[in-house]
Amino acid sequence: MNQVALVSKSFEVDDFAAAQELYHANGWTDGLPVVPPTETAVRACLEWALMPPDQLLGIEPVREQPITAEKLAVNAVMAGCLPMHFPIVATAWQAMMKEEFLLHGITSSTGGCAVLVVINGPVRHEIGANATFNALGNSDRATAVIGRALRLGLINLLDVRSGGIDRSTLGHPGKFSYCLTEDEEDTTWQSLSVVRGIPSDASAVTVMAAMAPRQIMNEWTTDPREILETFAAEMRANQLNYSIYGGNYVIVIPKQLREPIERAGWSKRDVAEFLFERARVRRGDWASVGKGSVVRDRADKIHTALGSPDDLLVVAAGGPAGGFGAVIPPWMGSKTRAVTAAIGVCVDCEP
Amino acid sequence: MTIRVLDPTHEKSAAGLKLAPRHRSLAGQTIGFISNGKEGTKGFFTELERGLREQLGVAKVVWRTKSNYSAPADTHIADEIKRWQAVITGVGD
Repeated sequence: MNQVALVSKSFEVDDFAAAQELYHANGWTDGLPVVPPTETAVRACLEWALMPPDQLLGIEPVREQPITAEKLAVNAVMAGCLPMHFPIVATAWQAMMKEEFLLHGITSSTGGCAVLVVINGPVRHEIGANATFNALGNSDRATAVIGRALRLGLINLLDVRSGGIDRSTLGHPGKFSYCLTEDEEDTTWQSLSVVRGIPSDASAVTVMAAMAPRQIMNEWTTDPREILETFAAEMRANQLNYSIYGGNYVIVIPKQLREPIERAGWSKRDVAEFLFERARVRRGDWASVGKGSVVRDRADKIHTALGSPDDLLVVAAGGPAGGFGAVIPPWMGSKTRAVTAAIGVCVDCEP
Repeated sequence: MTIRVLDPTHEKSAAGLKLAPRHRSLAGQTIGFISNGKEGTKGFFTELERGLREQLGVAKVVWRTKSNYSAPADTHIADEIKRWQAVITGVGD
């Protein structure tokens, strides 16, 4: 059978080191070494995902930039992805191109967010991801390279380079890679993707334009309300110190804090409803953090961190010991929305 | 042994967007400003309007502000652009 030819320009380099210099010199990397993307490696990704090279994964809605499977696969290989990682990268990109994600806005903003990816479902086992120790750090190969592939794609397919399209004032380390999986086997809770409407036997990704994680600690109680009050306080602090406007928040709850909440019979919905009530501030409180000039005549206006309980994304992940958790705030209120998509399903196909 | 590697960029495959024809003069013309709504645009565009009128003879300057500073201009603003001879848009933080 004839193969569809790849359309990417190719270069002959002397060796691995020469390949690094070529890619760095052209601004094609995130600053770290890359895996040289050969035709063989790129085709292996495409074949695993059953995608022809010219398959259109979507069109970035603002700059009308088409994203093809071939070009995304080149970037996935560079990030270190194995073929089995590529369907996850492709689905995440399709989710990122949904209009409500506001991809151009979130990647060009001075706010400097990253794209957080949460992987759910059976695919977690196939790729050998680890949802426990170091879940938000360098926990495993799969999440490291999948998160990195999204960033390299942004750099090379949408020109999201520092000082170019990317106008981030600070950025944060999640811009190298920001990906985790949920510890679905060690919780009684529904997985994030099921909560967000995906069938329980399907694998899925959720993408969110996210700031850096804010770690909390409370190892001195087993009362769900007290534990969650610490999360709520961190969300209120983010509202006052970063952005007061409500949107999607992620909270990551590791086992030590999760177990007492689950044992008390609280579901993820109960957690969300509690935090919807508790994570809110008076606009007048801005004056206490040096922002008095923007309170104006609305000091008594209440701002909720979540537009509704549905805005909270609760993720069970993290190592087995330690009374820690994390609040991951949105880039900027509800201007962008988290998107969840099933892997292997066309997200733009009409029924 | 050499390695043959692939170009990871879009290779300028963007849809057929191109620059509008350039003006030789702005004298007597109507210029639109599209602000992203941030505080810094006020001073920037005020000064720019003064310069356009005093130094380049611009007849009229129309100010519009986007409803979402991170999204493209609202449709009603985009529709107005055809009534202007030039448009200036910019970031002001």
